[in-house]
Amino acid sequence: MKDIDFSAEKELAKDFLSNFPDSNGEPKYMRILQQVANRKFRAIEIDIEDLFSYAELDEEFRNRVQENTRRYIGIFADAIDELMPEPTEAFTDDDHDILMTQRSDDVPENMDGPDPHQKMPPEIKRYFEVYIRASSSGKSKPFAIREVKASHIGQLVRISGIVTRCSDVKPLMQVAVYTCEECGFEIYQEVTARVFMPLFECPSRRCITNRTKGNLILQLRASKFLKFQEAKIQELAEDVPKGHIPRTMTVHFRGELTRKVAPGDVVKLSGIFLPIPYTGFRAMRAGLVADTYLEAMSITHTKKKYEDYELIGDEEEQIARLAEDGNIYEKLARSLAPEIYGHEDIKKALLLLLVGAPHRKLKDGMKIRGDLHICLMGDPGVAKSQLLKHIINVAPRGVYTTGKGSSGVGLTAAVQKDPVTNEMVLEGGALVLADMGICAIDEFDKMDELDRTAIHEVMEQQTVSIAKAGITTSLNARTAVLAAANPAWGRYDLRRTPAENINLPPALLSRFDLLWLILDRADMDSDLEMARHVVYVHQNKESPALGFTPLEPSVIRAYISAVRRLSPSVPQELEEYIASAYSSIRQEEAKSNAPHSYTTVRTLLSILRISAAIARLRHSETVAQSDVDEALRLMHMSKFSLYSDDRQKSGLDPIGDIYSILRDESETTGKQDVSYAHALNLISRKGYSEAQLKQCLEEYANINVWQINPISFDIRFIDAI
Amino acid sequence: MVGVAYDCLANPLGAVRSTFEKAIASGSDPASFDGRDWGAVDLFRNFLYDDGGLSQVPILNSASIRWVQPNTLVRFRGMIQDMLGNEFYVGAYKDGSVWRTNKFTDVPQFPVDSTPDMRLWERRMLYCTPVPGQNSWAESSDGVMFTSMESATQQREKRPRVDVEATDDMDVSDNGIEGSPSTKKLKENGHSSQQSITEGTSSSMITALDVNSDSLPCLIKMYDCLESDLKLNEVFEFVGVFTFDSEFKEDKDESDDLTNGFSEDVLVHLPPNKVPRLHCFIHRKLAVHDFLPRSPTIEPKPNLVKEIREALLRHLTAVLGNDGIAANFMLLHLLSMVYSRVGTVAVGKLSLNLTCLSRESAPVFGTQLGLALKNLLPFTQCISLTVDYLNTASLAPRKDYETSRLITGALQLAEGSHVIFDETRLEAGILNSVGVENARLLKTLIELQKVEYDFKFYKLDMPADIQMLVLSEGKSNILPADVVLPFHPSSVASTEVTAEALEAWRWYLATLRSLPHSIDSELQKVIENDLVAARQEDRTLGTQDFSRLLTMGRLMSMSFGETSLSLEHWQMVKELERLRRERLK
Repeated sequence: MKDIDFSAEKELAKDFLSNFPDSNGEPKYMRILQQVANRKFRAIEIDIEDLFSYAELDEEFRNRVQENTRRYIGIFADAIDELMPEPTEAFTDDDHDILMTQRSDDVPENMDGPDPHQKMPPEIKRYFEVYIRASSSGKSKPFAIREVKASHIGQLVRISGIVTRCSDVKPLMQVAVYTCEECGFEIYQEVTARVFMPLFECPSRRCITNRTKGNLILQLRASKFLKFQEAKIQELAEDVPKGHIPRTMTVHFRGELTRKVAPGDVVKLSGIFLPIPYTGFRAMRAGLVADTYLEAMSITHTKKKYEDYELIGDEEEQIARLAEDGNIYEKLARSLAPEIYGHEDIKKALLLLLVGAPHRKLKDGMKIRGDLHICLMGDPGVAKSQLLKHIINVAPRGVYTTGKGSSGVGLTAAVQKDPVTNEMVLEGGALVLADMGICAIDEFDKMDELDRTAIHEVMEQQTVSIAKAGITTSLNARTAVLAAANPAWGRYDLRRTPAENINLPPALLSRFDLLWLILDRADMDSDLEMARHVVYVHQNKESPALGFTPLEPSVIRAYISAVRRLSPSVPQELEEYIASAYSSIRQEEAKSNAPHSYTTVRTLLSILRISAAIARLRHSETVAQSDVDEALRLMHMSKFSLYSDDRQKSGLDPIGDIYSILRDESETTGKQDVSYAHALNLISRKGYSEAQLKQCLEEYANINVWQINPISFDIRFIDAI
Repeated sequence: MVGVAYDCLANPLGAVRSTFEKAIASGSDPASFDGRDWGAVDLFRNFLYDDGGLSQVPILNSASIRWVQPNTLVRFRGMIQDMLGNEFYVGAYKDGSVWRTNKFTDVPQFPVDSTPDMRLWERRMLYCTPVPGQNSWAESSDGVMFTSMESATQQREKRPRVDVEATDDMDVSDNGIEGSPSTKKLKENGHSSQQSITEGTSSSMITALDVNSDSLPCLIKMYDCLESDLKLNEVFEFVGVFTFDSEFKEDKDESDDLTNGFSEDVLVHLPPNKVPRLHCFIHRKLAVHDFLPRSPTIEPKPNLVKEIREALLRHLTAVLGNDGIAANFMLLHLLSMVYSRVGTVAVGKLSLNLTCLSRESAPVFGTQLGLALKNLLPFTQCISLTVDYLNTASLAPRKDYETSRLITGALQLAEGSHVIFDETRLEAGILNSVGVENARLLKTLIELQKVEYDFKFYKLDMPADIQMLVLSEGKSNILPADVVLPFHPSSVASTEVTAEALEAWRWYLATLRSLPHSIDSELQKVIENDLVAARQEDRTLGTQDFSRLLTMGRLMSMSFGETSLSLEHWQMVKELERLRRERLK
């Protein structure tokens, strides 16, 4: 390595500090220095990104900073010493300042030659702390702890991890100051390590020439101390390869960075990876081994919320590409739990649950929730739990629990006595922990009656109120609830009414935007499909090919976080359409003697929420009619397994049913024309496919019931009037 | 190569150094040796495998540690119980003008001055323990003692010859390479220091050692290997340099003063006088059949396999009180192993639950069965489930952040371990939160073959491959096994087994379970149709049942030593299943 001229480097640093422009074109760091001079704060953070974007500096310099950061902090500190402006505001002197003025007055007196031990080290005068921060803009992924190797020693690295232990904040001596009993001089000793050998004999020239061996007394008040804290961080669960144990690393925090972390925090740190040689007796024992630590430079807390989601690498590009793709809705839905076969519509509904609708706040302060609640009800063994667990993995913040959760805190919150301090503390349950996320509750039907009451409040008001042990408060629980439940008798009993089977109070049921019934029916084809799948798995030791490549959960997460920023509105012309759709559902329900659903005003809100979520997925700011149709279709499909049964009972085949739907439509509107698009909407709402519609059109056209426009497929009834 | 300059067994470090010097002399840059080998490992590989040196290397265990000398070559067989992270050490440094290396050693041979020419290298630290539940026959202690004694005598005989060779070699090289006088001196130093250590402390060594003689842990230091090579809970044989510092005294007060009782590294809790170190040259993953005392001489001939199968089945039938169906299921169960994971499903597991064991009959058959399995399988354990046990036991391993160690739990087991859960002594009672958690752990283990390790801030799933046998009165709900079979014994017979038969059975169980397996497409169709027909009849059948039947088919054909499923064996599986269902009624 060639020698680097550090004074030249200092000039470069000075140039950078005095000239680097911020977004307004003003020198960014000089403004910071001014505030530091005014004692507003201590920390001067130099963003390495700024070094990269500062045109005057060549790449070499930045790399040198990156690879030898410790040294360059010193260089920047020296440069700042020279650049530090005069304070523009008055501030009260503290002890330290008074000492400093005395010292600087002293200096001219004993100018008997430059004595290195009497020269005041620059550290003691400094009021500021310099940090060089690794780029935090998320261009590169932070390292996992196991990726930090011996070759990174001395370099600036960025790592992510979870804090497992924190020490108390302790003073760390930076400059030791002694006074000599003989000559009365102040002697300074810089301390760079955690341990140091104190001086005992006065090294000043006068004492040496006089051979007095002056006794030195350590002056604690005059010495400079830094706050110092040590912490251990551990790898995040997702960074640990299968079959390995998470690694840990020691981190040192100094000065302003202390007291920023607590055990359990997920943090991103930038810092310098440094070795500490063992000292004293241990060095002999440990032989050649060096301990390492990370000297922290900056701390970022990771918040697991969509709003704070940071895009990494080329994710932005991927999202843009996905957004252009017309089929994004299907694609994303298929990529949820790809190993679970079928259930496309359920996956679509779950995707919408992840996306959610915007929260609305009315003028009078009332809030309308945007989170979608979904309940999956079905026979045992239809992969409900797997779906739940997968959704939790995709969601950035998700809590999985069962209705019979074992913890005493339960689902909502509890007041507990802290065993150490004997104070009453509020501990949040699963729903509170899932605030701004998703709470998946398995075995919803087996839930405690108490928790179930509390869930009413959570699902509509999105808060948890507590009045226990003298604590009255209400905690936020803005969570989307995804529940899974078994029917009342374990399996769905078709001979009984849906209300009997579902076995949840209507008040609770109406709070779910979608209640999805998944029935396991005796069906030769699906049985064969299942048998084939199992045989394939045993034969080939892998799942059968999916026929498509599912998107990575991280991409799904990124896309969802991007679309969650949108807040689609309902255009006026759609209001009428939605209202009529709602009223028709109500009427249908009134006609039926065994209704499958409880349609209330909440249903109307549900339609709006689901439509808004679909609009979000389309990257659109307004809700379109197609979104509403899809919402209605999903609502219908959720009970499809029941309707198909009804239809069998009533003896109608799908083709005949489609015909009667279209006939009804023609009669109610009083027109003989039904457009193809409209017909498709109508029948899909009832759960039929486009292929069935085409078949129906063809069959009835053959017997001259209607005419089909050969190009647009629009329908015209031929009435023999 | 001019012959080995050093005795690989007695002075492996000398061999390391000589290869290092050779590599340096041939003009290599020491910086380029970071993370790769310069020929030392090859030398040992040649010595161990090509020259058959492996059998001479003593196995390190609680018995042999009394006489194995430090800085010699040893073997250690154990399970990776914990991973302590990486250690940075001064790998190469310049002593004056000569490059030295510290690879494969704890203590430098020459004082290290802080020169700029110092290379920091990394090594991995693994904490290994003997495999939990290892049976005495698998420890092969008699065999090893035998070989190690033999090797010791061999060494004694051999050493003079080797020494002569070595010195000859030295003499030649004295003139040639300038570094060699120092290496010679070094070697002498090495020898004398070794002797002084062993002489001075041979008595104290034994006292210093934790007399936890059954389980001798070992700290393995791994060099230059891929991280993915070694995983937690895998069983390995490590060959390397043994170091053990019995003189070590804990500098308690000092370390406490300096480090606020916090920053100290993990090794403080593993002082070198308690836990021996092994600097590993070569590691090899061990499968179950590596634990057979004698290398198998039997060829897997079909009729021979069939004979062994018949004999083993007879033996199991006798052990199981003349219950033939139970013996058949037991045989399949003993052959089962997780051979693949698809999504969350562990394919190939077959846990067995024998029901109808009352409080009276359980001890009779339970102990008999336990003993029989102990003799058949290398790693077996028996856990008696009681409310008290569930409420107090720590089943899942847990990270202790005070010591930075993974505290092992009862469910941290090596691949291929067998566990009997005896539920017959379980009584009605209340589970506390630990008990609930433990019950959940057991359930996920038997359903998914996974154990959740508790890292306090999050939990990590570790895949497991454990054969689980549950003995209970009714169907066990804590441990929902794949096969539930009511146990109908008709007699209690004492079983006498010859040693040869045992050996054959061990070989049979260890070897056959790793056979490949396939189903041809014609039979696939048959199976598919059979499964569909079964489901049409009984709607409660699910994917799990399908999967179980296929696993049984695989195990059935494997038990005959065949690699593809035949219709006959599939029919046998169906027949067994039919008999089982009849009993359930």
